Amino acid sequence: MTGATFVFALASGLAIVFALLMVVQKAPVKSVLALVVTFFGLAVLSVQLAAPFIAAIQIIVYAGAILVLFLFVIMLLNLTEEAREKDTRPIQRWLGLVSAVALAGLLLGVTLRAPPAPVLRPGDGPRIPAGDEIPLLGRLLFSDYLFAFEAMSVLLLAAAVGALILSKRRME
Amino acid sequence: MSPELFDVLAAAGKIAFFWAVVLVAYLPNVVWAERRIAGLIQDRPGPNRVGPFGLFQSLADVPKMFLKEDVTPLFVDKLLHTVAPTIILVPALTTIAIVPFGSSLTIAGREIPLVIADVNIGFLYLLALTSISVYGIVIGAWASNNKYSLLGGLRASAQVISYELSMGLAAIGVFVSAGSFRPVAIVEWQAAHVWNCVPQALGCIIFIVSAFAETNRIPFDLAEAESELVGGYHTEFSAFKFGMFFMSEYANMFAAAAMIVTLYFGGWSLPFLAVTGNAGGLLSIAVFLAKVFVWVFVFIWVRWTLPRFRYDQLMALGWKVLLPLSVLNLLVVAWVVARGPGAP
Amino acid sequence: MNVLPGVAPMGVPPEAYLAVGTILFAIGLAGALLKRNALSIFLSIELMLNAVNLLVLTYGRMRGDLAGQMIVFFVIAIAAAEAAVGLAIFVALFRARGTVEVDKVNLLKW
Repeated sequence: MTGATFVFALASGLAIVFALLMVVQKAPVKSVLALVVTFFGLAVLSVQLAAPFIAAIQIIVYAGAILVLFLFVIMLLNLTEEAREKDTRPIQRWLGLVSAVALAGLLLGVTLRAPPAPVLRPGDGPRIPAGDEIPLLGRLLFSDYLFAFEAMSVLLLAAAVGALILSKRRME
Repeated sequence: MSPELFDVLAAAGKIAFFWAVVLVAYLPNVVWAERRIAGLIQDRPGPNRVGPFGLFQSLADVPKMFLKEDVTPLFVDKLLHTVAPTIILVPALTTIAIVPFGSSLTIAGREIPLVIADVNIGFLYLLALTSISVYGIVIGAWASNNKYSLLGGLRASAQVISYELSMGLAAIGVFVSAGSFRPVAIVEWQAAHVWNCVPQALGCIIFIVSAFAETNRIPFDLAEAESELVGGYHTEFSAFKFGMFFMSEYANMFAAAAMIVTLYFGGWSLPFLAVTGNAGGLLSIAVFLAKVFVWVFVFIWVRWTLPRFRYDQLMALGWKVLLPLSVLNLLVVAWVVARGPGAP
Repeated sequence: MNVLPGVAPMGVPPEAYLAVGTILFAIGLAGALLKRNALSIFLSIELMLNAVNLLVLTYGRMRGDLAGQMIVFFVIAIAAAEAAVGLAIFVALFRARGTVEVDKVNLLKW
């Protein structure tokens, strides 16, 4: 087993196991922590896919900011375990589980089947360079994707303002 | 010897060197240095009983810390309580993986660059690790099952996140002028031109202040606030776990000093001296360590000189002063680089 | 699947990455359907977003295209904005109803 295969197996195993743990956990705090480990595994996979910048951004933004925000909200609202009451819709839960598994099987069957050769065309965007791709990404952001970049900044501003207003206590 | 085996051995050697420097030489002695310098500043002797000049004080303190009873409070989550100190210690120790601690050595005809991992994302790795260390504080606070620890931990993590922003923005000025995220490229730029603290003085000050806030050192240590909150987020940890929290603060100090030296003070380079060959390599290691230790001394010096910020003053400083200033710094640097020579 | 000429071959076959992404997506979907706590549902949705990120990165790598990385960059930023607003909504919900369990928020039920 080569090094790349070993790293892939380790990272994807970690990601899948902790994703399962996240879904199974009753306490929200431990769910968030399990998801952090999943994101680490995904970041390692991104590095293997020649996207180290995305891996760094994933850790900094997703694991380091968004999930910390989750943790803050959970701790400030003091949400401990999920309530121990009886589940009012057990059949719906079972249906949900079965449909998720069925969807997984369906998607796996579709994506893993080898398509006929003409379907896969070379991308018409800029190629992944052999060395450092970060300057190229920066150039792309400000040329081809400039509109999306500016729209994103407006979106983030709107989200920040919206979050502030939504969580304000009403002054009566 | 095959090239891969040589690379692996070289990497292992560099890692062993860093472990020897940080864990064996630095950590015990910085505690002693802090206490002696505190004594000097406060006009008292400091530890001077154990060994000459009290040098063996850490040799007595460290086994004490390991052998004390490990008290775990009653209703805590055992797993989180055990894991929290590790989460805060590991990023502190792995930050130095990307820092170049020398120019290069040539052994057996092969050139070894003196950096453990020269990844092309460079300092983004550092920012990622800083984001992870927040979890150690938050989990430690939560796992203590104690509302005062929780409040201290939330305050500490809010502080770390706020100052991460201005730290990153100030550092971007350096990336723009050097044209790369990689610390090796930044140090080489400084060796060829001028240390970054001169043209980017504002960014340098912002970065240093943010580094103080990131490492929870006075004047920004309201989270632990030894005279107010008992221990803040590490109140309920004893013996070995407290030892790990304690060590992680000093390891973070080393990492922050290494970052400041690499980004703004020329890394391993001296402005007037350019010695080549292996002698140059060894000299550059010595220069780097000397600069880092100077900055660690500054950290300690500031701690025993300044009073502590109140929490609202701290957050106001981070958001209302440092963040706009760092954006201004970035604008000026970007304008100069875009207009200057060698611009695209 | 074939690797295109001119694109560097991948160490691990790309089908493996696609399988991992799909499995993670299904796990996130199961979590979103099975959990009762609104925050846990939101976490599962974030997992689904990340699984899709992995799939897009894989396809981009297979085509040797940087567009995959750009798409993921924007998806991460949008997820950040969405998380901020969503959590603010949950905080407001908790203040209004005293709970974040989705089963209890049923005022509009007939």
